[in-house]
Amino acid sequence: MKGPDNAFVYDPQLAGFDLAEDHPFKPIRLELTRTLLQSCGLLTADQLVAPAPLAERALLEVHDHRFVEAVKAASRGEDEHGARSYGLGTSDNPIFEGMHEAVMGVAAATVTAVDLVATGRARRAANFAGGLHHAQAARASGFCLYNDLAVAIRRAVDEHGLRVAYVDLDAHHGDGVQWLFYEDADVLTVSLHESGRYLFPGTGHTYETGKGAGRGHSVNVPLEPFTEDESFLEVFDLVVPTALRWFQPDLILLQAGADMHVRDPLAEMSLTLNAMQESYRRVATLADELTGGRLVITGGGGYDPYRTVPRAWAHAWAALTDQQLPEELPSAWLAEWRERLGSLAADLPDTSQEDAGEFPPVPRRAAIARRNRLVATRTIEMLQELWDSLELDGGRA
Amino acid sequence: MLVREIMTKQVVAIGPDTPIRDVQLLMEQRNIRHFPILDHDSQAGGADRLVGIVSDRDVRLVGADHPKAPEGVKSSDPVSALMVSPVITADPEDPIEETAKTLRERKIGAMPVMEDDRLVGIVTAIDMLDALVRMSGVTEASSRLEVEVVNRPGALAGLLDRVASRHINVSSVMTSRSDADTVSFILRVGTAAGHELAAHLRGLGYTVYWPPERV
Repeated sequence: MKGPDNAFVYDPQLAGFDLAEDHPFKPIRLELTRTLLQSCGLLTADQLVAPAPLAERALLEVHDHRFVEAVKAASRGEDEHGARSYGLGTSDNPIFEGMHEAVMGVAAATVTAVDLVATGRARRAANFAGGLHHAQAARASGFCLYNDLAVAIRRAVDEHGLRVAYVDLDAHHGDGVQWLFYEDADVLTVSLHESGRYLFPGTGHTYETGKGAGRGHSVNVPLEPFTEDESFLEVFDLVVPTALRWFQPDLILLQAGADMHVRDPLAEMSLTLNAMQESYRRVATLADELTGGRLVITGGGGYDPYRTVPRAWAHAWAALTDQQLPEELPSAWLAEWRERLGSLAADLPDTSQEDAGEFPPVPRRAAIARRNRLVATRTIEMLQELWDSLELDGGRA
Repeated sequence: MLVREIMTKQVVAIGPDTPIRDVQLLMEQRNIRHFPILDHDSQAGGADRLVGIVSDRDVRLVGADHPKAPEGVKSSDPVSALMVSPVITADPEDPIEETAKTLRERKIGAMPVMEDDRLVGIVTAIDMLDALVRMSGVTEASSRLEVEVVNRPGALAGLLDRVASRHINVSSVMTSRSDADTVSFILRVGTAAGHELAAHLRGLGYTVYWPPERV
């Protein structure tokens, strides 16, 4: 008998809002991704699942009610002033009408993805509209209003009784999720990111390892700017499998922000699609090994919205469903989007893969790789000691 | 920021007759490095008077085989044999930078905080570091920016104006270096698009030391 299918949680409305006209966070990435997958035959109509509505109660498991009330008022256009003390009304987090409903919709979609996988109705699931990892309990931050990831993790832990490993491969540190579960033993957060020295939000140091019951449950590897494929995968292999195997999760939640790519204008990492897709495949393999396959993938950052993000996330879906993107992208898809986007899609690539030789060589390559290796090795050594001491204290909670 | 805002208010003080070995034990148990020493002053209507201070270093040197070990002091002796007196103290209303300067100039690790003649807190070098971390804005999600401006009135205002016109909040400003002609500021700015802001400022002619320019 055929097992449950994979679910692509999708709500056309999620692709329909813009934070602001010239805002770098572009939901059109979702439409490009979905149509690319459909035209490649990697996504079928019955894999598209509409998100179930989310009760506000679920949001309040993570967010402060005064914050939510202030967002709602500003979202109705009533009181913008109240929302300003919560990080809103800035160029990163503009106030726009209907923002509460729009971002509730994002959270609903990530929660739906987790629910489907937790209950076995789907083998694996993705919500590329999700991944708002910077949102804090009472603060909008870094393009993120509500933390859909944290809401979904809370649901997985509290309602489904699952231990969740959160893996964050966005170029920016997954600070919101980390701090919301910093003292929680049921959730492991692992973030690989460009060092906070150079990049927002500034956190994600190696020594942020969790607190109280959550000791040893936060893993951070700050990477050098201009890190390339080989070094990134080396760090991934040093840290991620070890941490996940120690934790023994029931579910892996992957935040697949696509801004580590060399073409991303906001961060300064130098990955190509090669390392990105390879890291997605490795996470999927870890899910097979550790969670009976249970894996949910969300989107996240990614500010080269036409050339890079759709291909990166198509690779993520391909990894999730054990498929491969065709080498050549469908000409009908290319034609459609070149038509729709005009000059924006002037350099839309026609292949799914990249050749590292396309990009200028990075100076100091060996020094960057050496430094990353050192940080990753130290991180895992330090955590190993911490984990051993937790065992001595009577095992993990 | 004033001493009142960063000091530890629950101070563990001891009497001058406390045996040194008890002080040692208390330090280890409570994880405290500095003890103010209060004496009961019957002349002043029974109020406690600050008569000295003792640090973990003073206590550890007792009986140690070390050139700086106090001569003839045993761990059974009262702490008054060891305490430093008179004590350099701070006022709760002192600006913290002034207190930090005193700590460094006098090479001490802590200052009891006195309001009138009453001990109301203690402030340590570690409290100063914590305050520096808070003042730098690094604990809030933000991007780091270091920009040089000409050293003349209005130059910083001009820079902040450029940042504000892009609807970006500034959570902290610190001076990093200055000479007669130029002064540099480290800003923490509430934007994930820190590189774009840096490029914008470079385009306007500012020297931006951080984040480094893309190669």
